[in-house]
Amino acid sequence: MIDLGLFGFIAAILVLGIKRPFLWVLLYIYIDTLEPQDIGWQLTSALPVSMIAFCAAFGGWLLTDPKHGARFNFRQGLMLVLLGWCWVTTINADFPVEAAVKWEWVWKTLLFAIFVPLTITTRLRFEAVVLTMVLTAGAIVINGGIKTATGGGGYGVLHLFVDNNTGMYESSTISTVAIAIIPLILWAMKHGTVFPPDWRVKAFGYALILACVLMPIGTEARTGLLALAVLCVLMLRDVKRRFLYIGGAAVLGLMALPFLPQTYSARMSTLDSTDEDTSASTRLAVWQWTIDYANTHPMGGGFDAYRGNKFTYKLPVRTQNGANTSAVQFENHTDQARAYHSAVFEMLGEQGWPGLFLWLWIHFLGLWQMERIRRRWKERTAPDQRWQAPLAGALQYAQIIYLVGSLFQGIAYQPFILTLLGVQCALWTWFKLADSPARSRPRPAVPLPPPSDAVTAGGAPLR
Amino acid sequence: MIDLFSLALTHGLLLLMALRLIGRADLDRDPPRDLAPDPEGSGEP
Repeated sequence: MIDLGLFGFIAAILVLGIKRPFLWVLLYIYIDTLEPQDIGWQLTSALPVSMIAFCAAFGGWLLTDPKHGARFNFRQGLMLVLLGWCWVTTINADFPVEAAVKWEWVWKTLLFAIFVPLTITTRLRFEAVVLTMVLTAGAIVINGGIKTATGGGGYGVLHLFVDNNTGMYESSTISTVAIAIIPLILWAMKHGTVFPPDWRVKAFGYALILACVLMPIGTEARTGLLALAVLCVLMLRDVKRRFLYIGGAAVLGLMALPFLPQTYSARMSTLDSTDEDTSASTRLAVWQWTIDYANTHPMGGGFDAYRGNKFTYKLPVRTQNGANTSAVQFENHTDQARAYHSAVFEMLGEQGWPGLFLWLWIHFLGLWQMERIRRRWKERTAPDQRWQAPLAGALQYAQIIYLVGSLFQGIAYQPFILTLLGVQCALWTWFKLADSPARSRPRPAVPLPPPSDAVTAGGAPLR
Repeated sequence: MIDLFSLALTHGLLLLMALRLIGRADLDRDPPRDLAPDPEGSGEP
């Protein structure tokens, strides 16, 4: 039933895309996020739906898109350089076979992030992409939220559509993404035109936000709690009554405490202590190893270079002596081939200092660009000029939440986030064009072409 | 059941969005006033 439904949905969007090829871009974002081929077990998994959607999105844009306002900007150029650099390190990788496996999906993800800004050229397209990202991630989040609320949560226990714990379905990743999309949900609730703000949109939006907040609780991912804290601090910038907000947040937090499962409280209490936590100790040891490795291999070891690590560190082991006393002994603990558990060290170990520098440049440039748009458009009050600054703010907050989360997870090439960077690139291009002197002159009110004009005969070859 | 509900709800909304998008002229081109940075330049809803 689910399989048939997913297949029918993909087929429907493919057919509707013949009329408006931009829908194929949305379809690829949907497939890249939800991975329906892993949920469906027969029809959807039998077809290379991801490749079909990618070809349709690219072909549809190339052949039929009007391409008004499509520009290749500097940040896309940086991503292209990063893509080229990844290719170089893959060729010279320490573990060529494993590196090739990762390269296989990373290049597609990066290429799509470079390509997608060329397609997002209008306000409605921004909205459509944001809605697609929010609703697609929302499918997983609503699923996890309901299961958490009905008592199905737990670390490594929460089942989300698929049996594997990778990609978007990895507990820390989905917790971070769930919190990161909250600013985008708020933006869509307020500035949406596809689903204009009314009581239904508000009810759904707030329910979705509640599900997002439940994700870190359901997965018991500590990174999720950190992401939530970061969001709360970021929101301080926008709220009008700050003291009321702080007080309300504190009261809500205190009220929620008794309802949290005991396992959750126990796990979160380890956040500030690394001494007796193998997960944290391993991370610190891997990061130290990565710095040493980068010093001897400044150009990086290619994808999955962590497989070469082996290190011994001291781990405190507490033993109970009688009822009230316990002793702590330090035992040597040896680990090998441990993953980076941090996007920063993932970049450093795999792509070396040049790769890390590029990755940081891409991210910090995005933060700066969004800040610039936000400040420039913040004071504008005309009805069609109110959505830009809040969108830039929402994209910036989502990115900051991701960046904080990425300090503890190896998600440097997370497709959802790279698509988000693509949307930022598109908004920057849109902003530059809108602010350019040529565009600031009043333009004659040319009647818009009917929708059918946008679909030229070019749609046919992809059928 | 929860799987079915969450997939049906979100996919229904995605499909509704797609259906609404195909009828919108501004999907492919912003209305001209949208590109003017002058805050006083437009008053239309």
